[in-house]
Amino acid sequence: MSLQYLKEAAAGGDTETLIRYIRLHLGDGNDAVGRKEIDKAWIEALKPLLDLPPVDREFIHDTLRTKDPATLAHLFFDLHFYLVQQSGEWIHDGNL
Amino acid sequence: MTATSNVGQQLRPGLWETINERYPGSMITKRDSVPLAVPQMSLATSRLAFVSSAGVQPKGTLPFDVVHPVGDYSFRRVPSDARTEDLEIHQIKYPTSGANRDLNVIFPIERLQELVTDGVIGALTKDFFSFIGYNMDPERLEQTLAEEIAQAVVDQRADIVLLAPA
Repeated sequence: MSLQYLKEAAAGGDTETLIRYIRLHLGDGNDAVGRKEIDKAWIEALKPLLDLPPVDREFIHDTLRTKDPATLAHLFFDLHFYLVQQSGEWIHDGNL
Repeated sequence: MTATSNVGQQLRPGLWETINERYPGSMITKRDSVPLAVPQMSLATSRLAFVSSAGVQPKGTLPFDVVHPVGDYSFRRVPSDARTEDLEIHQIKYPTSGANRDLNVIFPIERLQELVTDGVIGALTKDFFSFIGYNMDPERLEQTLAEEIAQAVVDQRADIVLLAPA
């Protein structure tokens, strides 16, 4: 999808187009795979917290407070790919 | 495309529809294509530049932004005398397993070095140029990335340019 296509969708509140684009991006062009990848990332985010280990909440708080929205949004995408890599099931080898 | 091809005609029109199905609206049609330049000198006396969308870069440089949902519009300079073990790929949208075993299958730097040694090509520009092809803003791609690479190629006094998509 071109950037113009996405901007028009965002301006028109076409959330289905936007989320489909995200699924295509995260699923390397496959809508259903993208949906699964999103689920995988959330599962991997949950696992390390189940034993309630100490976490650096000060770092998290400062980051959210001091960084701009675009950097935080980019970090969200970075974290997605980081977490799916942690799952051991890495689909992004380009074999579409 | 050869010099006798119809300007604006896609060599693989079916591919365009396939990609548009996968990423609707991502492909654009150019109506103002620039005709291919006719070489003014022999390959054996020409300085060749290489431009690739394979996402190849020297190890230790900032990786291409492969997670950004709208793409990365930067390029990397790859020294033309680099060894493949000093290079790496940061791209997740094309099959890289073969290229990770032998980078030359997608970025034939050693083959080009050999062609210079054998006298088939006159010389190589100091640098080659690489970027990633996942870009959702065709205008930015054309007006910034393509222009910047074109200027870099001109600055290195290339006589001919090898363009290779990944």
